[in-house]
Amino acid sequence: MSHTLKRNEPGFGWMFLCSTAIHLACYFFLVEFHFAPRPFKEGPVYYVDVVNLPVANPRAGTPSSPGRAPSRPAQQEMALPAKSSLKASAKSTPPNQKSAASDETARQFKARMAKIEREVEAKHVSAALDALQKKVAAAGNGGRAGMPGAKGTEAGSDYASYIRSRLTDVFKTTISFQTKSPEVMVKLTIDRNGKVIGLHFERSTNDRIFEEAVRRTILKAAQTFPPPPGGEKFEYSYRFAPEGVSKK
Amino acid sequence: MKRIFLTLLAILSPALVHGQQSFLDVTAPGNRQLQLGISAPKNLNGGQNPEIVNGVNDVLRFDMTLAGPFSLMSGTGGSNDSGIRPGEFNFAPWKVAGADLLVKSGYRVSGSTLTLEFRLYDVFKEKEIVAKRYTGNIRDLRKIVHTFDDQIMLSITGEKGPFTGKIAFVSKRTGNKEIYLMDYDGYNVQRLTRNGSINLNPDFSPNGREIIYTSYKRKNPNLYRRELFTGTEAPISARRGVNITGAYSPDGKRIALTMSKDGNSEIYLIDTTGKQLARLTNNPAIDVSPAWSPDGSHIAFTSDRLGRPQIFIMNADGGGVRRLTTSGAYNDRPRWSPKGDRILYCRMEGNGFQIYAINPDGSGDTRLTSEGSNEHPRWSPDGRFIAFSSKRGGKEAIYLMRADGSGQTRVSRGNADDSHPTWSTRW
Repeated sequence: MSHTLKRNEPGFGWMFLCSTAIHLACYFFLVEFHFAPRPFKEGPVYYVDVVNLPVANPRAGTPSSPGRAPSRPAQQEMALPAKSSLKASAKSTPPNQKSAASDETARQFKARMAKIEREVEAKHVSAALDALQKKVAAAGNGGRAGMPGAKGTEAGSDYASYIRSRLTDVFKTTISFQTKSPEVMVKLTIDRNGKVIGLHFERSTNDRIFEEAVRRTILKAAQTFPPPPGGEKFEYSYRFAPEGVSKK
Repeated sequence: MKRIFLTLLAILSPALVHGQQSFLDVTAPGNRQLQLGISAPKNLNGGQNPEIVNGVNDVLRFDMTLAGPFSLMSGTGGSNDSGIRPGEFNFAPWKVAGADLLVKSGYRVSGSTLTLEFRLYDVFKEKEIVAKRYTGNIRDLRKIVHTFDDQIMLSITGEKGPFTGKIAFVSKRTGNKEIYLMDYDGYNVQRLTRNGSINLNPDFSPNGREIIYTSYKRKNPNLYRRELFTGTEAPISARRGVNITGAYSPDGKRIALTMSKDGNSEIYLIDTTGKQLARLTNNPAIDVSPAWSPDGSHIAFTSDRLGRPQIFIMNADGGGVRRLTTSGAYNDRPRWSPKGDRILYCRMEGNGFQIYAINPDGSGDTRLTSEGSNEHPRWSPDGRFIAFSSKRGGKEAIYLMRADGSGQTRVSRGNADDSHPTWSTRW
């Protein structure tokens, strides 16, 4: 009993074509991957307004007289080589006419450069002014923290935080209490000149010594309060409590 | 309707949440004492009377030191001041020295009549807080200064001080245990009983005009009531057995005491004439030392119903008994604070007792004394101080401390055995 095996495979020609096609595909893929310029996907650009981030200056953003632009660094004159000797001088001395033409060219070049610089600077100033005007217009009545028109009461306002830091500094030297967990909530009103005109105890645990310590803190700290931003009255609440004393 | 409510809630809730957070916290560590400057008393007629100057200074300094919130400063100048009124002296030296408050005082003597004038100032504001002028006999100097010290406490803490209160106590200075009365600082001792017997457990009526105490002068420990200003005395409970540890109710109309007329020590209620109103405990164990809560709704007492003496609390009608102390093998003599937030008691430790304070719910059990053996704690009328007797110096004596156990100071004078103090309201 014998079997005759019948090969059912494609012939050499088909195998060769397939192999060639695969190799070519790989070749072009690698060439494309290595040498073709990659398309650059540009993501969204976020601009951070560094000027108006909350800073230590409580009056940041308050309109004021325009400050002076920083002066440009003086252009340094190129040092001329000192005359070394008469011989060298005699050798290198050009004719007077040639020297005059060269000076004229340099002067014209300087004039053109100065004109270009003036134009560029004017464009920058104009752009900055436009941006500032847009900000002022956008601020309106309810401005953002640190912006012109802001009242210092907006979220993240640095004026309210600045007042708190002044209060905390003094509170460290005046804190005194007689009950376990005293707490006082004070509504503070500061007029446009930075003077405390209102001090209202909204909530208190009725610790007289603590209340008096808070009152003394505010009056002492008030000596260092600057005027609120926006030239308006500032009103905000502060909760005074001993550090690390829980309500329980 | 429900839909409208939900709509309103949805509209208002962000505003409410926003409103809750519109404040900033200001915190600081520590708890400093107020710097209190005391200027030397000035003779407003010119010259100086050292006896009065020293008397005023001593009383003022003792009271304010014990008070707690103050740190006293020595006199800063003042000798060149023209007077003690605003504008007659300079705040600057006191400001520089860091004073928060300043007491200026002046006096005039005319024969035996003394006029004392006190002014308390806020140094930072340069503002007068309180000013008082008192006129009395020169013998009343200490009382006058105590009175102004009460006023200082009122102005600064919001509650009058207890410095004009008296302390009644038991003393063996004549050989027998008699009841005495003295200023809270140990001066002006007066003897109240002279029966040559044993007298114990004095307790002031809420108005401070009467005391009740137990005396063995008729052989049986009976309860007596004595009017302090007239000296009138009458037995109010002379039932068979003991009639001890009487305690006035906060309204002064009832007295809780321990009686054993039925064979066992139980707590009863009587009125001020001695008529029995109710029996509060009914237990085969010994129940003694009742102490009223300031609102009169509860009574703390000692009972050994669980084997050893412990502190229990019950309703004023005898119901709702619950155990208060769970630590210590022997706890006795509870005393409820005037504000109702703490209960003092004595715990046996070693060969003696120590004073503890605990919250009425059983939490916050805190030891207040450690030196010697300390017993019989009683609150001052304002709850700021505690009077107690201690054997730390050998013989038993009356001491004072603040409610947190600080500032322990002996006020007993002499070397007799003094015990069972009780502090009256202001006279």
